[in-house]
Amino acid sequence: MAMPMPHKSPVARVVQAWFNPLKRSAGFLAFVLMRITGIGLVVYLLLHMVVIGNLLRGPAGWDSLIQTMKAPWVLALDVVLIAGILIHMLNGLRVTIIGLGFGTQSHKGLFWTLMAVALLLLVYSGWLVFSK
Amino acid sequence: MNNNGLFGQNKTITLKVWRYKPGTIDPPRYDTFQVQANAVTTVLDALEEIRATQDGTLLYRHSCHHASCGTCGMRINGREQLGCVARLLEQGGDVVVVEPLAAAPPIADLVVDMTPFAGHFAPAGMRLVRASEFNAEAETPPGIERFSRYEDCIECNLCLSACPVANTNPAFIGPAGLAAAYRALVTGERSPAEVFADVDHDNGVWRCHSAMECSAVCPSDVNPGHKIMALRRELVVAKVKRFFKGG
Amino acid sequence: MRSIEEKRRSGTWIGQAITGVLLVILLSLHMIVHHFVVEGGLRTYEQVLDYIGNPLVVTIEILFLVVVTYHAMVGVRAILFDLPLNERQKGLVTQVLTVVGVIIVGWGVFLALWLFRMARMA
Repeated sequence: MAMPMPHKSPVARVVQAWFNPLKRSAGFLAFVLMRITGIGLVVYLLLHMVVIGNLLRGPAGWDSLIQTMKAPWVLALDVVLIAGILIHMLNGLRVTIIGLGFGTQSHKGLFWTLMAVALLLLVYSGWLVFSK
Repeated sequence: MNNNGLFGQNKTITLKVWRYKPGTIDPPRYDTFQVQANAVTTVLDALEEIRATQDGTLLYRHSCHHASCGTCGMRINGREQLGCVARLLEQGGDVVVVEPLAAAPPIADLVVDMTPFAGHFAPAGMRLVRASEFNAEAETPPGIERFSRYEDCIECNLCLSACPVANTNPAFIGPAGLAAAYRALVTGERSPAEVFADVDHDNGVWRCHSAMECSAVCPSDVNPGHKIMALRRELVVAKVKRFFKGG
Repeated sequence: MRSIEEKRRSGTWIGQAITGVLLVILLSLHMIVHHFVVEGGLRTYEQVLDYIGNPLVVTIEILFLVVVTYHAMVGVRAILFDLPLNERQKGLVTQVLTVVGVIIVGWGVFLALWLFRMARMA
């Protein structure tokens, strides 16, 4: 079957279709966020599995590593990670609920409510990350 | 369009129209046209004006001019709309970009190939006629009990164009086709086994990621996103039942 | 016509929903016990051993690993299947992601059991 818009490169088409929420409504924004955070979390999972491999090096290897992990820029990345988790988790609940045919008429309200919850939890988590 | 006053002051609007003719305007480009518009001028009006007075080679499709035939779907400032009811001055700005629908192969200018749409839509089997919600006060002719209307979907392809998945995977049945399948299921026109066989696969109901943009752009209140979700629920219930019955 | 293969692979959405809901619990637990209740936010080697030496904990951690890896791999597959892949390419994607998933789980289980053994010996 012929591809849509043959004059756009496949990459440009994918970026436009999956990652550009401009001119689109809340559900589309939720989809874009879900996709970006999902990809980010998979990358993090792989990274995390490699990093915790340092436990094999015993207390000397691990304890010095976690000292470097307490640098402010790493903590800032932790907050980004938590944001990704919260957005993906709460949006995932929304997708599950509406995917089972419940609340499809009020999916936008559900999205903004859950994102407000995500923001509150993020502020609290951020405070914990930088104060502990 | 010289009815200055009656429908508000005329305003000059610049239309940037996507042009493409295989072998002639290839690669595609945007052509710029200026038109006078008042409060009731639609994008389709403007295109007709351009074709009549500025560039007779401009191609677009249309028929009814009142959002009933679903022929003049296009992307106006990046959003899928029917050109015949999209008012030019309500598009937010003095420059309005007009492009063909996405997720359909372009034929020329704003005309796209509707074959992929029909290929996904037709198999669902839409033959539903229902009671009209309009003209409740209208007198019915003798011998006719009430007015009926055909199904809401006007087969305009806006939903497919707005769908993030249909834009990258032409094999996806898409919003209109899945909504039609759900309707065939609830009206009993087709058996659950028939409908499920059509939609329970990678390019069917499970391919939808609930962006709900199809419902956002639908000009005819079909609400395809809602119907896909409802269809998915029917399938989940059927699968869970089958799982516990050990079928 | 759709192949039997294609039909067989339907329904991972339900799997994603179930593992997703499980992850809300397991990931929240993981974040809280590993980072939020720990002074300094990260467990030292000794603290890790203290914790993972508990058979219940190591069981939950392995369950979490399996669930999160499944969810991640099926998620990547769902994204890739939005591209116009043919049946052969889809099969390849599924196979590659299965192998990656098995490697992640294998590595994680090895690590968890190794730490569990160290904790028991200590």
